[in-house]
Amino acid sequence: MQRFIVLTLNGLTEGSIYAAMALALVMIWRATQVVNFAQGAMAMFTTYLALFSLERGAPYWMAFLVALLCGLLLGGVIERVLVRPVESAPPLNIVILTLGVLLVLEAVAPMIFGGQIRSFPAAFSIVGIKLGSLQVPFSAFDLFTLASVVFLMVLLLLLFQKTDLGLRMRASAFNAEVSRLLGIRVGRMLTLGWALASLVGALSGLLIAPTLLLYPTYMDQVLVFGFTGAILGGLDSPPGAVVGGLAMGFSLSYVGGYFGSDLETVGALVILVAVLMVRPRGLFTLRAQRVV
Amino acid sequence: MLEITNLTVAYGPIVALDNVSFSVADGSITAVLGANGAGKTTLVRTISGLVRSRAGSVRLDGRDISRLAPEAIARLGIGHVPEGRGVLAELTVEENLRLGGLSRADRADRQAALSEAYELFMPLAQRRHLPAATLSGGERQMLSIARALAARPRVLLLDEPSLGLAGRVLTQIMARIKQLVEDRKLSVLLIEQNARSALSVADDAVVLSLGRIVAHDRAQRLASEEGLRHAYLGF
Repeated sequence: MQRFIVLTLNGLTEGSIYAAMALALVMIWRATQVVNFAQGAMAMFTTYLALFSLERGAPYWMAFLVALLCGLLLGGVIERVLVRPVESAPPLNIVILTLGVLLVLEAVAPMIFGGQIRSFPAAFSIVGIKLGSLQVPFSAFDLFTLASVVFLMVLLLLLFQKTDLGLRMRASAFNAEVSRLLGIRVGRMLTLGWALASLVGALSGLLIAPTLLLYPTYMDQVLVFGFTGAILGGLDSPPGAVVGGLAMGFSLSYVGGYFGSDLETVGALVILVAVLMVRPRGLFTLRAQRVV
Repeated sequence: MLEITNLTVAYGPIVALDNVSFSVADGSITAVLGANGAGKTTLVRTISGLVRSRAGSVRLDGRDISRLAPEAIARLGIGHVPEGRGVLAELTVEENLRLGGLSRADRADRQAALSEAYELFMPLAQRRHLPAATLSGGERQMLSIARALAARPRVLLLDEPSLGLAGRVLTQIMARIKQLVEDRKLSVLLIEQNARSALSVADDAVVLSLGRIVAHDRAQRLASEEGLRHAYLGF
């Protein structure tokens, strides 16, 4: 039973990170109907930038902020400079473009920052919290991870549901042509969508780095798990992405805990294949079927 | 005043509009009639910037808008109710309506536009918090028109507004539009297949056939020209 609790708490923390990655993928999918395979590499790059700032003497939170802001910027620039010119090309072209960005970032990062495995500091203690004499397998950093992901998601939810800007962004994602007829600057909304998604991705990179250690491909598996979570949630539903990401966290934690950590990746694959076979539209398809 | 001068539009080798010229005066309704494929929808899509013209110009109060982006044209006060799928099905009825008023800076004004829309289109008020996907075809058409009106446009492009609407509702909507034409000097370009009903509300009418204007006159006079009616309008 105790083991189960440990694995569940562990799954919750990692799941929140996969949820952030899944959410980033879903935001871009909704805005431009593209799976951004560079999402993980972008987060890797911004986390390196945080480490770079730390090594130059920046305080921890400053470095954290640098990574998030660079994430925002990187997403916006990639949309504007690389994706926009091929906007009207078939979606596959853009997918291949994102794969190109992935390769370039993973090749450039070791040139700039060195290719060796680096440790990345955690914001808080990674030792389990003590409740009286009982030590629970949940650290202050786990709590921070969970809280920061939830905080960012609530902010995004408020932005999308409660503000005019969010309404414009959603409209642009659903139907660019009608939005333009209503005077919405769709191009700007798409850039902003990529920027925000990339900020969410950057957060996941920062939060998982203390656990996984930092090296140029460390985010690849997070991308795969996040992507599986996103598919699980139906790829176009933000709440689905969050639930899917969490589900991935729990299942992988149980698979790793009970069957050995070597099987985690296989577990992800099994889940992905199972979902695609049983419910190819995902468990949470938010978008109503269009009635013509 | 909306002026269209020598407008030519082509999709590859296919000429959709051929040297089309006419104008819509402030506070008037011009009907654009013609069979399927006559170029009616191409005409409104070109005016609102969704389709680029090959030659000619579109002017709003003397300013050439034919090279502007659709969002810029919309911001100048040209509202376009597209044929069929104009509503954002994933958003609620209210969100759709709010989108119409977003280009207006004054918050009180936006609220007024919302209330006005609900007053005119009662079925929408009852469903304001439901996704537009749950609306019937006619209700979607109402929403699309209400949303365009919420932006308080100077020029309104209506592409087949009668599609899916019950006759009584259409009459009601057209009466409201007619009122806006008189009170606010709204200019309307009304695309219709149903020539008889369009001619009954329009001041002027243009008949398109295969991308060319074959008749342009006062609506009443066109309605009484039997030869033309038989040849192009089918009644």
